[in-house]
Amino acid sequence: MSDILGKTEDVVMRAKKLGADEVIAKTTFGKYRQVRFSNNQVDITVAWDDYVTDVALAWKKRVVATQIHDFRDVDATVKGLVALAKVSGENPMFGGFAEGSFRYPRSQADRKLESLESPTELVFEAIGAAEKEAGSEVDSGGILFTKFEDVYLVSSEGPSGTDCRSAVELSIRAFSEREASGHGVECGSTLKDFEPSRAGRKAGEIARLAKNPKVGDEGVYDVIFDPLIFGSVLGVCGGMASAFNVMVQLSVFVDKLGKRVSPEIVTLTDNPAAYSMSQRVFDDEGVPTKANVFIDHGVLKTYLHNASTAKVFKTETTGNAGLVAPNPWNVEMSPGTVSKDELFRGVNRGLYLTNTWYTRFQNYVRGDFSTIPRDGIFLIEHGEVKKSLKDLRISDNVLSMLGNIAGVSKERQHVHWWGEADPPSLSPYVLIKDVHMTKSR
Amino acid sequence: MDEDIVDYALECAQSKKVDYAEVRANSQAQDRIILRNEILEAFVSAVDSGFCVRIMADGGIGFASTNSWSKEEARKIVDLAFKYAKAAKRKDKLVFAKEKAIKTKWAVEQKKKIENVAPEEKISAFADVNKALASCGVKVPSVMSQVFVDLITKYFVNSEGSRISSFVPKIGAFLYVTVAERGKTEQGYEQFGYSGGWEALDHWKIQEKMVHDATVLRDVITKAKSVKPGEMDLVCGSEVTGIAAHESCGHPMEADRILGREMSQAGRSFIYKGGEYWIGTRIGSDAVTVVDDPTIEHSYGYYPYDDEGVKAGPRFLYKKGLINEFLQNRESAAKLGTKSNGSSRSVNYDREAIVRMANTFVAAGEFTEEELIEDVKQGVFMKSFTEWNIDDKRFNQRYVGKEAYLIKDGELLHPVARPVIETTTLKFWSAVDAVSKKVEFDAATCGKGDPSQGVPVYTGGPCMRLRRVFVK
Repeated sequence: MSDILGKTEDVVMRAKKLGADEVIAKTTFGKYRQVRFSNNQVDITVAWDDYVTDVALAWKKRVVATQIHDFRDVDATVKGLVALAKVSGENPMFGGFAEGSFRYPRSQADRKLESLESPTELVFEAIGAAEKEAGSEVDSGGILFTKFEDVYLVSSEGPSGTDCRSAVELSIRAFSEREASGHGVECGSTLKDFEPSRAGRKAGEIARLAKNPKVGDEGVYDVIFDPLIFGSVLGVCGGMASAFNVMVQLSVFVDKLGKRVSPEIVTLTDNPAAYSMSQRVFDDEGVPTKANVFIDHGVLKTYLHNASTAKVFKTETTGNAGLVAPNPWNVEMSPGTVSKDELFRGVNRGLYLTNTWYTRFQNYVRGDFSTIPRDGIFLIEHGEVKKSLKDLRISDNVLSMLGNIAGVSKERQHVHWWGEADPPSLSPYVLIKDVHMTKSR
Repeated sequence: MDEDIVDYALECAQSKKVDYAEVRANSQAQDRIILRNEILEAFVSAVDSGFCVRIMADGGIGFASTNSWSKEEARKIVDLAFKYAKAAKRKDKLVFAKEKAIKTKWAVEQKKKIENVAPEEKISAFADVNKALASCGVKVPSVMSQVFVDLITKYFVNSEGSRISSFVPKIGAFLYVTVAERGKTEQGYEQFGYSGGWEALDHWKIQEKMVHDATVLRDVITKAKSVKPGEMDLVCGSEVTGIAAHESCGHPMEADRILGREMSQAGRSFIYKGGEYWIGTRIGSDAVTVVDDPTIEHSYGYYPYDDEGVKAGPRFLYKKGLINEFLQNRESAAKLGTKSNGSSRSVNYDREAIVRMANTFVAAGEFTEEELIEDVKQGVFMKSFTEWNIDDKRFNQRYVGKEAYLIKDGELLHPVARPVIETTTLKFWSAVDAVSKKVEFDAATCGKGDPSQGVPVYTGGPCMRLRRVFVK
């Protein structure tokens, strides 16, 4: 393995020799596996093995990047890349790649995820759990995904190290009727404590409760968000905290640093911790990752930075560098002081939403958007789930919703889901007051 | 791309007890240019090359891919795909609809070869758009531009004797613009796409279009009024027609979705066997015919053969208001007792080919755009859209206008700020009473699949007039 680090370092040395000012090379050997299932049966099992060295270099503030898939191609590719830099345009805001020499903690990746012997068994476990909850007629679909990556990074500016990153995710959607479904996920970085049946049970339970849905009424509701749907909100907030998105006006957090954006009970932290599907010990510039509180008791404290955006905002990198822009890794919401049941008891008339999809913005700076809840949508009356609804849409504003958060549960779940709840998050049940719901007319 | 290794992989697969095997190689020379205003943030240039094996055995399917080009690696992924196919243990065994073997080579021609366009020319073409926006008289604090240039070489072989080589150059661009006036902002985006050479830029007229957009967004802030919610006529511009055709016709007509194969991700469809809607059911007025046609030359979604080696042609999805023909690949067609209509697409060698749209549009009618408008007493002309979405059964949709005008007694009056139509697929298509003659297209990236596969498509159509729909 040190041989690979050596070869990665060689890429950096060669680029420097050809005139590059700064160079980062990151080699990843990835093994990804996925079982896709629908109608309670496996449709396809997929394996994709990938080797890539991502190279980013700067020459006189011109930033270029490439990928090398075969170390035998290094000379020609690096030569081409340096030549490309020399004809590229200058980016005056490029502040250089992160400097320093760091020691990284040992990765806690799970080697068992390099190649699972019987991945389909985990799928059948989840399907079985959904059937147990919702009956043998239930129709389930979803995926089991595993990832194992060996990562080697060398920067001309000092950072150098290796990392292993693993992840496992089971996502199941169960239909008890044509329009009655529930979705459950089980996510983590390791097979330890990984229970596919937990996701199946949750999907089955919601699907059972969701039977015979009626078209809901438009209006303004107090809404309890399940951890899965609130994971989508956390993903949106994490993305908008990226300094790059702030710079290009794709964020409601433009000009909001130091200002209150939500009540005191809201604290959001980006943290690619060992439990997370996004676990990593360094970012794409080799800076050690850490927990970054970006909304502290309701106040926007920082954006998420790489070295370059940090210079623009006259601060330090937060260890969120991606190849071009800083990214959130795993957004955690601090737990509240009430239980999930207490949260429900506090709602006289409202909704319980379990999942959503197709979130689209009219205006990122203002935060106007709509999204379409799916799977269980329930009417809450006097603290209890009373009725299954369908065909409602949230048509609201991110800042208003953040400002109207009125309760956060103690219970939290690590969630991730295709398309919407991304990046992964550690998400509680959350009560938001006065959410605007619309429907087709 | 080493075709010998691809052929070797197929030989390895055929040496096993397989019902079907295919090997698909894809080599993609990619340039990605990212500009913030006129500043180049990064230029990424790389070649992504690899191959995959898909095997059907014992009624199950296994798939494995690699980007290491060696015979040893080929053997390894064949073994893996075979093992996974056998492990499926399906109760109802999968089969593919029968297709004849095809041996062919095809390529998209370039008038101005991308290979001969220098990187600095690629950068300056888009930096110039930003310069034009900076000097157009509208305050534009931010433009985010992403440019995609791909030279895609494919080689497909299967155990039935098909052998297809292809070459497609593709150019795409996505520009997101923010306009600020009077302390308020408005935002909008444009996407461009073309299969062919650098001549794409002559067709796109990006500067003109983006300056127009900036002006429209400024007018939304400074001149537009809200519409009084209520029932009225709505004239959709081709961009709005196109997104509706894509979302509430193309997607629900994907057979894999109808069969539930996407149930956990993109969802199912309001169309299903035994349900209210099926082939022959009315979903719109006689004026509505929606076509998906991959064979429109130089379109963003162009292909003559799909990624299962099936010859493609136009598919009439809704025909004169009736549900007519689903989008099929070989797996879905076998399940529904029909033939594939060449709708199987994959974004790269490491993704399975699934049922996709290509270029989805409403067919032309007999009217002029002016005739549609002059017959409206009270209504809105929604020329383009911003926020939109649709539920996962593809029945409840919402489109928010970007460039929109109030229509009164057949005349266009002032701009309307963010008018919204939020309605069902049935109501939307049933309300269409007239369609104009001129079909126009927009580029888009269609999302589906897990892992996600964003495929290039066109959406399009003429202007359409909808009678008495609720606009707010």
